Amino acid sequence: MEELMDKLKGEIILQLNLEGLKNEDIDSDATLFGEGLGLDSIDALELIVLLEKNYGIKISNPADGKKIFQSIRTMAEFINENKK
Amino acid sequence: MEAFIKGIGIVSPQKTFNTHEFLTELKEYNTNSLRCVEPVYTEFLNPVLARRMGRTVKMGIAASSVCLKDSGVEMPDAIITGTALGCHEDTEKFLLAIIDNDEQFLTPTSFMQSTHNTVSSQIALQLKCMNYNFTYVHKGFSFESAVLDGLMTLEDSDAKNVLVGGHDEMTDRHFTITQRAGFWKQENVATMDIVNSKTPGSVSGEGAAFFMLSNEESDKNYAKLRAVKMIFNPGSEDEIENGITDLLYEKGLTTDDIDCVIYGISGDVRFDNSYYDIQKTLFNTNTAAYFKHLSGEYQTSSCFALWEAAMILKTQTIPKSILIGENKKKHIKNVLIYNNYMNTYHTVFLLSQC
Repeated sequence: MEELMDKLKGEIILQLNLEGLKNEDIDSDATLFGEGLGLDSIDALELIVLLEKNYGIKISNPADGKKIFQSIRTMAEFINENKK
Repeated sequence: MEAFIKGIGIVSPQKTFNTHEFLTELKEYNTNSLRCVEPVYTEFLNPVLARRMGRTVKMGIAASSVCLKDSGVEMPDAIITGTALGCHEDTEKFLLAIIDNDEQFLTPTSFMQSTHNTVSSQIALQLKCMNYNFTYVHKGFSFESAVLDGLMTLEDSDAKNVLVGGHDEMTDRHFTITQRAGFWKQENVATMDIVNSKTPGSVSGEGAAFFMLSNEESDKNYAKLRAVKMIFNPGSEDEIENGITDLLYEKGLTTDDIDCVIYGISGDVRFDNSYYDIQKTLFNTNTAAYFKHLSGEYQTSSCFALWEAAMILKTQTIPKSILIGENKKKHIKNVLIYNNYMNTYHTVFLLSQC
């Protein structure tokens, strides 16, 4: 799990071009949107594509997005549960 | 149609950003591709927004921010830009993603940022400016078209201050492709040797420059922009000569009234004769300067020349690094820019001292 979360952090930094941030700067339990990492709706689209491209996971119900993208940990848990 | 240049902001391969110094410290290269000396963007851009922006967007916004500050105008009555390549870095990103991912998994950011009007729209978003906003994409006439629209907007509307800019960026991939097409020199050339180069191709360049055009007179204005003229694919040298002399006649001037002519000499042996021919036939005794050894060649490079002309008139100096021969005039009242892109897009600007 820790390994997956670290990998995920690196992928998010790269995909969202979070200049100046390192993996260790991102708290695994901090919220991704709003106050935490400060991501927005365009980033949400990028994260959906990242999950599909890197892990082969499609989010079929958009309403689930809020829960899945709450933090790095919830994303990693979702990947573990759904990875093909 | 005339306007005062009230403020300027420019990012270029020289140290021109956020300074009123006029090429006091020359940055010399030995290359066939010049890239901009980029500022630290955090001062001008929200980091959250900046991470999505390509270089040309960042350069454009930084240059426009300095121009707005320099002019003291908080809300321009129009924002008009000219660019030939637009946001090329982002265009490449999403086109490569289409290929690499077999037309799957396309993300929105690069596509959104790749449109040619991204710079003008981002400036408007930052300022919350709902006024006229337009971007011209006309290859070697892109910047000139923006300037012409700026002058017309000032004349035909209630507008008092119009922000006009030009920007283009070079990417490694675009350089490689266009070099294969023979655009650029195969060999590296030192900055001050470009004028004497006798090989085909020029040194590629890039940059972003913004000008606040205004109909308000002020002691702080840089210069008066009196005319811009475009001559597309002239059939003969006479057509260019007549274009220049007609423009001067319209403004009540002759070639003798021009104190300095700025040429777009690029070191490309195929095209530079057009400048030397005009110099020989029209401006044989006038002071001559040039600019593309400092900016490099690109479709909107005349924005660098316009900065150079405005600075000459404002400071009443012509730095040695841009002078061809000697400066024959102590008092510089009128400056003419003659430039062409690939000998197809010929342009003329006329500026006068305020």
